Amino acid sequence: MGRIKIFTKAKCPKCPAVQSIGTELKREGVAVFNYDLDTIDGLAEASFYSILSTPSLIIEDEQEREVIGWRGVVPSLQEVKQFLFKKNW
Amino acid sequence: MSSVIEMKGERKGFKEEIETTDMALFVRTSDESMHDWNRQRIVDALLRETYIDLDTAIEIAREVEELITTSKIKMITAPLIRELVDTKLIERGLEEARRMHTRLGMPLYDVDQLILHPNKENANVPHGPEATNLTLAERIKKEYALLSVFSQEVADAHMRGDIHLHDLGFVDRPYCSGQSLEYIKRFGLSLPNSIAMAKPAKHPEVLLAHMVKFAAALQSHFAGAIGWDSVNLFFAPYLVGMSDRDMEQLAQMMIFEFSQQAVARGGQAIFTDLNLYWEVPKHFENVPAIGPGGEFTGKTYSDYIKESQRFAWALFDVYLDGDGSGRPFFFPKPLVHITEKFFHTPGHMDFLHHICEVASEKGNTYFVFDRGETAKISECCRLSFKLDQTDLKEAREPWKMRYCALQNVTLNLPRIAYLAKGDETKLFLKITEFMEIAVKAHLEKKHFIEKLLSLGEKGPLSLLAMERDGSPYLRMHRASFLIGMVGLNELVQIHTGQEMHQSKQAFKFGLKVIAHMKLMVEKLSQRYGMHFVLEQTPAESTAYRFAKLDLKFHSPKSGHIVKGDISRGEVYYTNSTYLNNSAVLSPIERVRQEGLFHPLIEAGALTHIWLGEAKPSKESLANFVIKTFQLTQNDQIAFSPEFTTCNLCHRTVRGLRASCAYCGSNDVDGITRITGYFTKLSSWNKGKIGELRNRYRNQAFLKETEGTLMLEA
Repeated sequence: MGRIKIFTKAKCPKCPAVQSIGTELKREGVAVFNYDLDTIDGLAEASFYSILSTPSLIIEDEQEREVIGWRGVVPSLQEVKQFLFKKNW
Repeated sequence: MSSVIEMKGERKGFKEEIETTDMALFVRTSDESMHDWNRQRIVDALLRETYIDLDTAIEIAREVEELITTSKIKMITAPLIRELVDTKLIERGLEEARRMHTRLGMPLYDVDQLILHPNKENANVPHGPEATNLTLAERIKKEYALLSVFSQEVADAHMRGDIHLHDLGFVDRPYCSGQSLEYIKRFGLSLPNSIAMAKPAKHPEVLLAHMVKFAAALQSHFAGAIGWDSVNLFFAPYLVGMSDRDMEQLAQMMIFEFSQQAVARGGQAIFTDLNLYWEVPKHFENVPAIGPGGEFTGKTYSDYIKESQRFAWALFDVYLDGDGSGRPFFFPKPLVHITEKFFHTPGHMDFLHHICEVASEKGNTYFVFDRGETAKISECCRLSFKLDQTDLKEAREPWKMRYCALQNVTLNLPRIAYLAKGDETKLFLKITEFMEIAVKAHLEKKHFIEKLLSLGEKGPLSLLAMERDGSPYLRMHRASFLIGMVGLNELVQIHTGQEMHQSKQAFKFGLKVIAHMKLMVEKLSQRYGMHFVLEQTPAESTAYRFAKLDLKFHSPKSGHIVKGDISRGEVYYTNSTYLNNSAVLSPIERVRQEGLFHPLIEAGALTHIWLGEAKPSKESLANFVIKTFQLTQNDQIAFSPEFTTCNLCHRTVRGLRASCAYCGSNDVDGITRITGYFTKLSSWNKGKIGELRNRYRNQAFLKETEGTLMLEA
């Protein structure tokens, strides 16, 4: 199973929707990391993944390789789960 | 008291005993005259230039007179008297008065050296009497800047090498600028102090003449580059019905005119950037076009796409041929904007192949990537002005679209890491501290330039104060204030033990530093209501200067960190946020990784691909450019081949060679790109020579993988 990285900003109207997906997945035992782009660490991590808009959510494998990402859009919980629990990636 | 005073020069033979108050001593002054000795002059100068009281001034004058009398000196010069007076001020602890009374100038030896030897601080300055004048004036203005324009805190930070204040020799001008041809198309060439006023051009050749003259006038008012927006598009209304032959001729004229402007300021070619588009940029699509005579043609710029494209094509035909010796043109630099619309404009692949052929053969082409809704004007070595919503609205009246960066201040990042000694909290605090000093420097420069501008069209910056369209040519409220960086790679190396290309952790730490700087400039912009932005400093001499100073102040640690060859004195720090020049990375990996920093650096970034002797196919480069646009965040790329040109038979060959491949002569010059422009190696400073030796050339990779370059998303 991969892990989730979520990128948000304080003044971003759609960000709470992605954050709640993160909360839900965390509850189900998925490793979820939240990054705030208004902080140094958040902005640095976002730059590493070429994330230029919020909210963004990426799934990565154990080697920190990005498997899939949604940049500047809000995916559905179902969509995220579909990729997260998909085998062989 | 009496004494013997020896006379100088032709009066040397005379000796007489006199009272000191009537000394028949002559003082050689800076206004080319000899004045009788008069103690009162010292008093007058002290009262005029400093805040000391009359009694102290009289006392100092007496003491200096006595010193001169008893020393039996043979030649007295005004600078000597001034220094003696300064000594007396220091003896009394009047340090501020001493600063105010200081004389600016240069030692005889230095002037001698300067006249005899070329200046290597800027490879774009040739050696000659004009260049010497420029350098001499720069030296004085530099001293003036550090003593009078900037506070001691800022000046000391510069002299220590914590920061670098760029172009101090041009302290009374803004740094560089982006122009619109529409200004001279609409208002003609009507410059303050000019002896003749020209109405708007009616013919393309005249428009070109106006452009070149205006560029020269601007060069006298800015320290650095002069960039021109959408040149091919704005020329287009003048080119309707023009034959291919005439179009070719006009393109040749434009490039030769700008490349041969080595008769301008200080014999220095005007650092010119031509921004070019294959498509009509979105923000100019429905803008009413200005044509001959400064009249609106009744059409919009969309109606001139054919002429615009033909002119862009013709310009690259000229670049492909090179100059009379087949060498690449050093200036003007062509910057082609690659946008989403570019790929939807018919003929784009043919044009892309054309400009890629030039990139491979001569290296001239700069590929500027404007992704999404981004629009910008690029200039200098990589500087760009991103256009915001206000600018895009102003595009309806494009003559208003003129921009400037008022100053560039660069931080010595490795210095910060030496000072932090591995303590991360201290490291980030130091970055903040250095940035605050940079901001202070910007405030001081802004204050000084505003003072000059306030004198209006009668003042020293009359050109920038002129108001032909109702607002001053230099729009201070739109000015940018640049904060640059040198040696991120070495900061990371000192702090983490690894260079950025050596591990993901080290690379991420580099991103963290720049992220911190980005958030800081945003905060500082809000705090001061000014537009502070990060820029990748070209650092032609700064990377060398910082390395040398750190070898002095942070040895032995710095000896293991600076790049280059210490034994030859060819030391440098890696420029800005670049990865180590010698790191063996595939070009696409370098473009991708370096590009991750670019969105954080608003005022411009660039990745170099050093080609060496390799000459990849145009198809291979085009593929590379498309992939760079689609799959990376890289802002701008340039491919840099190397050449050797023979001064005897005037032929040029690929690669850097010790002798001419045709005639065997040893009188050859190497040519390649230094920071953001082509020039001869003989004019490079030692630091850049060190970097050149280390550059990893990507020839093997490009040969092996030609046409099959792939990028991972």
